[in-house]
Amino acid sequence: MKRNMSKLFSLIFGILAVALPFFAGDYPLQVGRNIMMYMALAITWDMLLRSGQVSFGIAGLFGLGAYASILGVIHGGMPSWVSIVFAAIFAGLVAFIIGFLILRLRAMYFSIVTLALGEIFRIIVQNLHEFTGGPEGIVMQGVIFGGNANRLYWLTLAGLGIALGGSYWFENSKVHFALTAIRNNEISAQSSGVNIFRWLLLAFVVTSAIQGLLGGIFVQSYGFATPDTVFTTDFMLLPIAMALLGGIYSTTGPIFGALLLGIVSEWLKLKIPYGHLVVYGIMIIIVILFMPRGLRQLLRQGLKTTNGRSA
Amino acid sequence: MVVKRSKAILAAILIAVSILLIVWKPTVLIYGLQAAALYAAIAIPMGLVLGIVHIVNLAHGEFMMLAAYTAYNACKAFGIDPLLAIVPTAVVTAIFGWVIFQLTIRRALKAPELNQLILTFGLAIAFTQTINLIFTSQTYKIPLDYVSASMTIGDLTFGIWSFVFVPVAIIFAYGLQYFLTKTITGKAALAVGQNPRGAAIVGIDVYRTYGLVFAIATALVGAMGALFLTKSAIFPIVGSPFTMKSFCLIAMAGIGNIPGILGASVLLGVAENFLRAFRGTRDWAEIVFFVLIIIVILGRSLKGRKS
Repeated sequence: MKRNMSKLFSLIFGILAVALPFFAGDYPLQVGRNIMMYMALAITWDMLLRSGQVSFGIAGLFGLGAYASILGVIHGGMPSWVSIVFAAIFAGLVAFIIGFLILRLRAMYFSIVTLALGEIFRIIVQNLHEFTGGPEGIVMQGVIFGGNANRLYWLTLAGLGIALGGSYWFENSKVHFALTAIRNNEISAQSSGVNIFRWLLLAFVVTSAIQGLLGGIFVQSYGFATPDTVFTTDFMLLPIAMALLGGIYSTTGPIFGALLLGIVSEWLKLKIPYGHLVVYGIMIIIVILFMPRGLRQLLRQGLKTTNGRSA
Repeated sequence: MVVKRSKAILAAILIAVSILLIVWKPTVLIYGLQAAALYAAIAIPMGLVLGIVHIVNLAHGEFMMLAAYTAYNACKAFGIDPLLAIVPTAVVTAIFGWVIFQLTIRRALKAPELNQLILTFGLAIAFTQTINLIFTSQTYKIPLDYVSASMTIGDLTFGIWSFVFVPVAIIFAYGLQYFLTKTITGKAALAVGQNPRGAAIVGIDVYRTYGLVFAIATALVGAMGALFLTKSAIFPIVGSPFTMKSFCLIAMAGIGNIPGILGASVLLGVAENFLRAFRGTRDWAEIVFFVLIIIVILGRSLKGRKS
């Protein structure tokens, strides 16, 4: 019964999301695109988190994908959509290689190294002046779909769809059990025959590839990339705050978190141009201290107390 | 035996490199040392917190930034020199750090390490963005005459004000060392750092000690904030790079090894300024420490696996 209800809800949400361009103007579409982009990143961050690894490298892989895509078009002569796929493959490949080195690290060491890797990607891109355009960035001729707002919206929605699909796969397959076992207790997971390194590598490569794909979509819809716009900490900070607020270790959590924080921050951006990001910092603090499992858990507890049977 | 020999070889290499640098590029050594002292002085308080409270404080650089803004406003309001603001700023940030500790970090001490990491990350964002909200992203600087003091040896002219960080770093390192090994409070803090439960059993108030250590660390970083203001312009994210650099230095020195931070920072400072000395590699200087941090962490993880 409950299952069907949630399926119905997701169906309605899905139809609404796809049909938004038919009844919304350009501004809401733009906001929608932003929110979906952050939502997708939040989901990928959470996917890796399910194995217990906190990555601070989302922005790095996103930026890497963005540059792979735009350089693929400019230097490799790829069509736009091919370059987006190329961005995903490139980011996945990079993750595969560095995964061998860094997935042996745990806890804060893993987090700090992912943060450092993101910075290294940025500095490399910034310094290869001839190839990447250096700090001033690089501009390409024409945007994908000729800049048609509706199609750009659907493109981002497709990116979000892929992230959702990945997350659904992670939740409803063997991957779920493997990652949860690793998160709960590595030693007991290992002794039950879970190949920890291989599962972590899978999760890391898949999430990185999706992050690269999103970077590709981002850069193709705006037609330019600078180190400051695609490697900005916003692409790390906002998704993390959204996932935490909504509730981690789930697909629905990041969705709710992204919708809520995305809309609030859009409104705040209009009210306070400087420093509206303070909301994100405070949100992270409050969530960690008072509701470590996010709004999703609160909602569930609320339902339980009002409706005793639904336990 | 093996350890001793490898240490002797290391020392010989270091001496050879420094002689080579003095002859070939003396500015690398001079500016490298100045940068190293600044890094060390900021990293040492973080090392104290990491060694005793076992928290990676990702808001560490932001505490310094807040202190620098406090000092700036104090200087503007009372027309005093930033050097006079050092002590008041240290006191104010110590109190602020203590309050922040009690309100937030203390509640997360029992939570998984990752929660603490994300919490201090949230603090960092909240601090920078609050400053952004109040002062916008404009840069502020206090013009001072003595900062541009310089010295000439032969045909080599260089700024000497930044050498002020050298004694500060040394005082921080050995002062803390003295505090931790010679005073009763310090010994208690060290005991808490080694084994909080054991310390609690013998009657040490663990949480009070944590609070105290955190306040001391923020006091030191607050003093650095005021001192930093003499040399550099300030803006909301001025402290953020120092958080990562500090962590890198602590990881290199080994957690709990406060004087070791001095050596690690010399390595980082000189390496960075070595790249800065050449036109072709100048822009790559920034990458040094990110590469270094990864090598250090990977190296330590490999070493740990072997033993």
